[in-house]
Amino acid sequence: MRAVDADLAVARMGQMSPDLRGCAVLDGAGNALACSGGGRSGWERAGSGFLEAADAADGDPVAQVHVATEDGEAFAVREGGLAMVAVAERFTLSSLMLFDMRTVLRDLATGEGVPDRRAAGPAQTATSAEDRA
Amino acid sequence: MSPAKPHRLLLDRVSGYADEAGAYLRRRRMTRNPFARVTYPGGRSAAYEPETEAGRRLFLAASKLIDAARD
Repeated sequence: MRAVDADLAVARMGQMSPDLRGCAVLDGAGNALACSGGGRSGWERAGSGFLEAADAADGDPVAQVHVATEDGEAFAVREGGLAMVAVAERFTLSSLMLFDMRTVLRDLATGEGVPDRRAAGPAQTATSAEDRA
Repeated sequence: MSPAKPHRLLLDRVSGYADEAGAYLRRRRMTRNPFARVTYPGGRSAAYEPETEAGRRLFLAASKLIDAARD
């Protein structure tokens, strides 16, 4: 998996979820492969701690976590040896957030890369038009 | 008295739905308490109250994650 794919996954989450405050992709060891906002080490500590607390709740490794607090909502999803942790505004649609996280993480974990569905900029569009001509 | 114009009826209907939706969201915000829900592989899920030890740890870890997104 390329580092740019992890960055793309974070960027794609930001595009898909308007309520998202920030998110990070963690590997199996808890290292942040990419993150939005905040410091990488902060995401690593807090993200790993969040997953550990969830795992410790029942002694089994979790697949997904959703904690709603007065300050915001925290999410975590595990897929294919990777994990994504995210923070969203209060009262966000949790099922959509978890679905988006799982979709992005699955694309990343399969190694096929995250599809770049961002709109092409004016320069790219012009180049594509010239190529077609 | 002349009958209401058709577009007025449509506007009334739409604003009625909007009022209902707004009221639903207000009720949802008022009644929704903090919660923690964990799902395990296979689909089993469990909710943890903040009063329990596991719930307290989860809420504490979630607060730290929310702070990390703020930094």
